[in-house]
Amino acid sequence: MDHAVVATEAWAGLAERLQLFTRVLTTKAAIAQTPKELVWALNKAKLYRYTPVVPPEKRYPIPLLLIFAIMNRPSILDLRPGHSFVEFMVGRGYDVYLLDWGVPGWEDRHLKLDDYAVEYLPRAIRKMKAIAGVEEFSMLGWCIGALLTTIYAAMRPGEGLRNLLLLTAPLDFSNRNGLTFARWTDEKYFDVDKVVEAFGNMPGDMIDYGAKVLKPVENYIGNYYRLWDKLDDPRAVESWQAMNTWVTDNIPMAGAAYRQLIVELYRNNRLMKNELMVRGEHVDLGKIRASLLTVIAEGDHITPPCQSEAILAKTSSADKELYRIPGGHIGIMAGSAAHKTTWPHIEGWLSARSR
Amino acid sequence: MLRVAGQEAASVSEADNNNQSQTNDPFEPLRTIRDKYLDAMAKTMVEAVNTESYAQATGAMLEGYLTATAPVREAMDKSMTQALQQLSLPSRQEVAALAERFTNVEMRLDDMDAKLDRIEKLLGRDQPAPPPEAGKVREGGAAVKGVHPRSEPAESGSRLGARGRFVRKGSPGKKRS
Repeated sequence: MDHAVVATEAWAGLAERLQLFTRVLTTKAAIAQTPKELVWALNKAKLYRYTPVVPPEKRYPIPLLLIFAIMNRPSILDLRPGHSFVEFMVGRGYDVYLLDWGVPGWEDRHLKLDDYAVEYLPRAIRKMKAIAGVEEFSMLGWCIGALLTTIYAAMRPGEGLRNLLLLTAPLDFSNRNGLTFARWTDEKYFDVDKVVEAFGNMPGDMIDYGAKVLKPVENYIGNYYRLWDKLDDPRAVESWQAMNTWVTDNIPMAGAAYRQLIVELYRNNRLMKNELMVRGEHVDLGKIRASLLTVIAEGDHITPPCQSEAILAKTSSADKELYRIPGGHIGIMAGSAAHKTTWPHIEGWLSARSR
Repeated sequence: MLRVAGQEAASVSEADNNNQSQTNDPFEPLRTIRDKYLDAMAKTMVEAVNTESYAQATGAMLEGYLTATAPVREAMDKSMTQALQQLSLPSRQEVAALAERFTNVEMRLDDMDAKLDRIEKLLGRDQPAPPPEAGKVREGGAAVKGVHPRSEPAESGSRLGARGRFVRKGSPGKKRS
């Protein structure tokens, strides 16, 4: 009889866990909750200003513009209340702006990195400066966002960029043996023109698949048993669900920009060789003069450290720093330790340069 | 292809929780075995996907898929274009061309906005924007559903609307999101 009771209870417990597991997997968490105001829009791109919470006299005068990748949602920068980089910086007295590139439609398939870096970005920056009433600003680029901000910084050195922060920046593609993506997209195996021709934009699911397959067991199996193991911990579940909400919200990448990334950067490393041409202009990294902080995630399998190191030697910045931190491509900014490690370091570096 | 694999971030974010010892858990030994097995498998798989043969195999699969589906895509495009024509509806190309024209108009408006900013600055009337007040509608909240910033980019993004000092006649003022 006792065994029957125990078995029944165990079965009920298992059923309850299964229900919770399914609910977590099939529902979205509320992410990107920090209050903000739309201040500019162009095509799909939107510039937001986060509502300051610090009185003007205590606020830093130099605004901070956040730029994320073009094939992901920028909500990772504002993941959830209590664990948001945006919330952290706003609380420290920064006037924070976010440029959301939006979701490219079929009509945007011709958009190139050129368009993002020297058409959309300068316009958003002009608007931000006009609203803030300042001539100088700081800019933080992450992943492909760091690539775009680097191109911008090299091509528009006189437009007031005071501080440039590059997070896990894919800039140097010379170490082809260290780059799995470079191997997969080699012209021997991968016809990028055919892909772009067929799809218009690079589908979000394909990009997502490419990233997840870099660590297939962790992403397709480990991630879920980790959730199962922690179902009794509401905070862990909340954190997992927030991250899962962001991860599963895939967006496509503009076809022409994707092609450019593969051909000009992955295959020919034109930026680091100082050969990249953007709208007929040469992108000279030596023209970057802004204070530079490069953040490298030592365990990054998407943008390995070798991709972000060389930029320091290429720029003319008198003030530059390389910050290495254990963790992965996203974990260094959105992981549970980020608020104790990466965020304070970025804030400390910026604080000294934002007055 | 440079997509961020955020799930690894989830693992980073929660890795510290995994270390909590679970004493008296009869499943703990099984869990340990499982973890060891998956760790070993993970290393093997990472090495496997990082080989030339994997790149070649995936490239061949993609190539095969694109080649096989090309005639279907072409036929569908053709029939869809014909169907839309017969229904007097615009084709995808026509809608896309229209969207591009809209973007060009938006750019022209943005250029004008920039010029107005410069004029205003020359007139010495430039002041920083007042800080947004607390309690405004949050992005993602129910109240912003249906707000389409693109519908009024010049207004929401305009120097006048954004600064909140002058609002053009007939304008609803700046958009909140």
